[in-house]
Amino acid sequence: MRTRGLVVAVCLAACGGDRDGTYDFNSHGAALYQQMCSVCHGETGEGGLGPKLLDTARSTDELRGAISARMPQNNPGQCTGTCADEVAAFIKEGLTTRALACDVVPPGPRRLRLLTRSEYAASVATVFGTGAPAMTCAKPSQCAFRDSCAAGTCEPTACTEQTFVFDPQGRTLASVHVAGSFNNWPGTIAAGGLPLTFDGASGQWLGTFPMGEGSHQYKLVLDERDWITDPRAPASANDGFGGSNSAFTLACTATVALPAETRPAGFPFDTDADSAVVTAQHVDAYLASARPLADHAAERAAELHACNWSGTPAACKRELIGKLGRRLFRHALEPAQLDAYAALELPTAVHAMLVSPHFLYRSELGVSRDGRFRLTDHEVAAALSFSFLGTTPDDTLLDAADRGELAEPSGVERWARLLLDDPRARTQLGNYALQWVGGQTIAGVDKRADLFPGFDATTRRALADETRAFAAHVAYDGSGQFEELLTADYTVVDAVAARFYGLTGTGKVAYDGTRAGVLGHASILATTAHSDQTSPIRRGLLIRRNLLCEDLPPPPPFAGGVPDVDPNATTRERFAMHTDNPVCAGCHRFIDGVGFGLEHFDPVGRWRKTENGHPIDATGDLTDVEHLGSGTSSPYATLPELSAVIANSRAAPACFVRQYLRFSRGQRETLAHRCDRLWVQARFDAANHDIRELLVQSMLAPGFRERK
Amino acid sequence: MNRRQLLRAGGASLLALPFVRLLERRAGAHVTPTTARRLIIYYYPDGVPGPSSNGEPSAWHPSGSGTQFTLPDVLASLAPYRDRCVFFRGLSMGGTDVGSHPGGAKKLLTATDGGNGISIDRRLATTVGASDPFSSLILGAMANHNGASGDKHVSYVAPGVTVSPDDDPAGAFARVFGATGMTGGGGGGGSGPDPRTLSVLDLARSDLESLRGKLGTTEKSKLDLHLEAIREVEQRVGGVGPGPTATCENPVIDAGGLAGSALYAPEKFPQILRAQMDLMVQAMACGMTRVGVIQASQHTSELIMSRFMGTPMYDPGFDMRSHQASHYGASHDLAHREYLAFKQQATWWIDQLAYLLGSLAARPEGEGTMLDYSLVLCCTEVCDGNTHGHDDMPLILAGGGGGKIRTGRVLDNGYRRHGDLMVSIAHAMGDPITYFGDSSSGLLPGLLS
Repeated sequence: MRTRGLVVAVCLAACGGDRDGTYDFNSHGAALYQQMCSVCHGETGEGGLGPKLLDTARSTDELRGAISARMPQNNPGQCTGTCADEVAAFIKEGLTTRALACDVVPPGPRRLRLLTRSEYAASVATVFGTGAPAMTCAKPSQCAFRDSCAAGTCEPTACTEQTFVFDPQGRTLASVHVAGSFNNWPGTIAAGGLPLTFDGASGQWLGTFPMGEGSHQYKLVLDERDWITDPRAPASANDGFGGSNSAFTLACTATVALPAETRPAGFPFDTDADSAVVTAQHVDAYLASARPLADHAAERAAELHACNWSGTPAACKRELIGKLGRRLFRHALEPAQLDAYAALELPTAVHAMLVSPHFLYRSELGVSRDGRFRLTDHEVAAALSFSFLGTTPDDTLLDAADRGELAEPSGVERWARLLLDDPRARTQLGNYALQWVGGQTIAGVDKRADLFPGFDATTRRALADETRAFAAHVAYDGSGQFEELLTADYTVVDAVAARFYGLTGTGKVAYDGTRAGVLGHASILATTAHSDQTSPIRRGLLIRRNLLCEDLPPPPPFAGGVPDVDPNATTRERFAMHTDNPVCAGCHRFIDGVGFGLEHFDPVGRWRKTENGHPIDATGDLTDVEHLGSGTSSPYATLPELSAVIANSRAAPACFVRQYLRFSRGQRETLAHRCDRLWVQARFDAANHDIRELLVQSMLAPGFRERK
Repeated sequence: MNRRQLLRAGGASLLALPFVRLLERRAGAHVTPTTARRLIIYYYPDGVPGPSSNGEPSAWHPSGSGTQFTLPDVLASLAPYRDRCVFFRGLSMGGTDVGSHPGGAKKLLTATDGGNGISIDRRLATTVGASDPFSSLILGAMANHNGASGDKHVSYVAPGVTVSPDDDPAGAFARVFGATGMTGGGGGGGSGPDPRTLSVLDLARSDLESLRGKLGTTEKSKLDLHLEAIREVEQRVGGVGPGPTATCENPVIDAGGLAGSALYAPEKFPQILRAQMDLMVQAMACGMTRVGVIQASQHTSELIMSRFMGTPMYDPGFDMRSHQASHYGASHDLAHREYLAFKQQATWWIDQLAYLLGSLAARPEGEGTMLDYSLVLCCTEVCDGNTHGHDDMPLILAGGGGGKIRTGRVLDNGYRRHGDLMVSIAHAMGDPITYFGDSSSGLLPGLLS
């Protein structure tokens, strides 16, 4: 179909095209257009808030003049001279039907991706197995005393809190509470006992409470009658009555921590590769956290590698280093590499491998073949494992790569499907979904404790887990379709979350008709609200940006400032000025009307009938649902109706593909990645928006395997 | 006394009080001109009560000119240091670009539109700071709250790439002073170079170098940053000597209770910021670094400042956030709840600057105090918090800079780009650059002596 001759004739010298005759969307002009113009004119110049530019009849000179004089609309004068030249050239050459045809999917970028903090922790657990600091767990009692079980992994509790877990081993109890030196040993909950809550999912009683530093003694009290020691407690002390108390000590020991990931504005995930660079603080943290791991591994050498350690210690050491090195570097060490590490003492060698760039970066560099680069089988194994399981490949997958089973798409597909059946894949899908809707910040979002009692650390964790478990349920146990994430008439809760919502039962529980899908989750509703009031703006933006991938122009330079507001009005009335004021209305007409529809949900996401005694008007209109400027109207009166509007749009599933690829590829997409995305989307569409199919196809896309 | 006890002792400021009185007489002592020995950049969010949209003049900028000026209420706590400060008029970050808060935060320390350049702290870290144990120290107080994206941060290690400040005072303390509170951190911990750490770093470096050979330009520059970080830690662990020191006694910060979720609890914010300031001053007094950034919160801040107990802002019954207060309305009306709060907030941020300057002035150094040899740049990303202007930026440069700075004045050169201030700061620090960012024209006339 391609008519290379024509393309070459049209753009000849100016195109910057590569040998396929397609436009190179990595040009500077393309980047400037994306930064300043695409939000109004559309990613491909298809038009929206601004006029259509695709296949424009205007000359480069005319475009240049218009850009210099009038663009960007809110703030002219930002793009003159070279900038205007480059953008005009890009519009003329890149925004053409011909250049945008995806006859050939261009190769993705060659890159190194620094492990995120969570990938680092999970990889260490995968490599060193049990006994390493991070452990997987199905229920809380499997974790160490100071840890709690969150999203399938044991996580250390903050040093200012303690999580108590009691396994009743099938016994039915009315109550379990904690009585100790920190609360004057109360015999009842009414007298100040710290109540544990029964978690139906794990069959255990749980509670997390603030606790001061120092030594504490306590007992568990069953049904406010039987005082027992905690079988999980790390120590005991004489109770002065001929028995013993459970005892533990809390101390906040400072450690050098890995810096928080940074990311571009509007990018919801922690995986952005370009933002992730190593600073001296990273190196300090890598050194510090690897030291105990390496010492621990060296102590367990015989356990990690069966070998005649007393007879041939040097050979055994070399073999163990080779074995751990293969897991850490995700491919067998080259002989020279192995020599370099084996020359060191065992703890030093393991320590060094944990600080090596071969461990800290996932390689997506590929090897050269016919002038193009292609990811190696082991790089594909790593991508599959990190994307689907959130951790480094285990021996089984590395063995498959060794055997060449990932050389062809059919083999990659087979392994992709196998890995998706791993229980860790559910957890990872949940982690993706939670970040997709911004829910992971629920742990730290400020709320007024006096207005929202009970919105404590345990509850917040349970509400984050709800979103994870729900997404996994839809993908694995439900229809599997994307739409169900929005339209489901149920959620998936543990006992803590059920109590928060006032729902009966645990696991899959039906909604009462006021909510639907993930938008009904407090993880979204609470993180998009302020500490004491809702924020229709933040809720509206969440829907536009995260669910519909509709970016809004930034606010204009605010010469006028914000006018005075009436403090006695309802939230909706106070925000009405955004749409009454023409300067604000330009964008806020797309934002507030969406967020108003969620006004029945208070700042922590609980249902409310009134606000400050005023009735709530929760009708809304998701205008322009397919793209801003399209002018469509989609009125709704309830959250389920709003969710249905989103689910029935073309924009939402397309956005879901875009978001998943951002997460999985670790990049904010540009036009250079568009054909890759469309390739995946076509297959997602053909599979009726099956979520797991999206994951599989993302790994099969030619733009994933081929690099340049 | 172990480190944890030190951390929790919390007596540092009390012990320092007699010093402050003693040294007030010495403050401003004539210092034989040298270069500035250190720079602390103190950032706080959401601007100041500048010119209102109804046309009232700024309630933040000093009135008067040259050495004849009056400090407004908001700056009152700087009175003891007015002779050690320079206030600016006319410094602009250029046209208010789209997004104003994020746009301003991107330009503030890079002097480059869109944050498409390195920040001044980064520049100095790679020049005058390169041979110190820590080329720079980027500390934060809730700077990463709510999973902040990169455009919320002000230090740029590479064009478009920000550094997440370290929000944990106890962790940062352990990193700088090690487990014992007196030796350098960085994995070594004990006294003398740790051979194991050096071997580990050596191998990491050689792996990086071989990997670097396989890469294109973008990824190469990523690994260059990594290599530089390795070298910094290597030289520190290998026992590089500290930079110029002031009085370096037993370092101590009050980080009691500051761990886990408390690091993002608004009521803890004053303690966190103070701990980070104490840490920065002591790290510098002990010659650990000479370039520091303290990022307090983040632009368009959700920080609930009405939870700060013992301040005029305190109101347990109403949550007043920084960004909320900054949109105080059309005029400077103290009867208006937001404006009153915003003025109190602006005052509080300056009170913290005064505390920082006081800590520096309380430590003898050379012929005077640490303040005489230091530079402190106080900044925020917009001028007026409500109108978001990028002109007449509310910047303060404090400290004698080793006699390099002509302090005690309002410096008004008419309209100038703020990149010129960055050029001047670099000069004062001994890095004589001719321009910085995308639109500077050279030294600010009248600033350097």
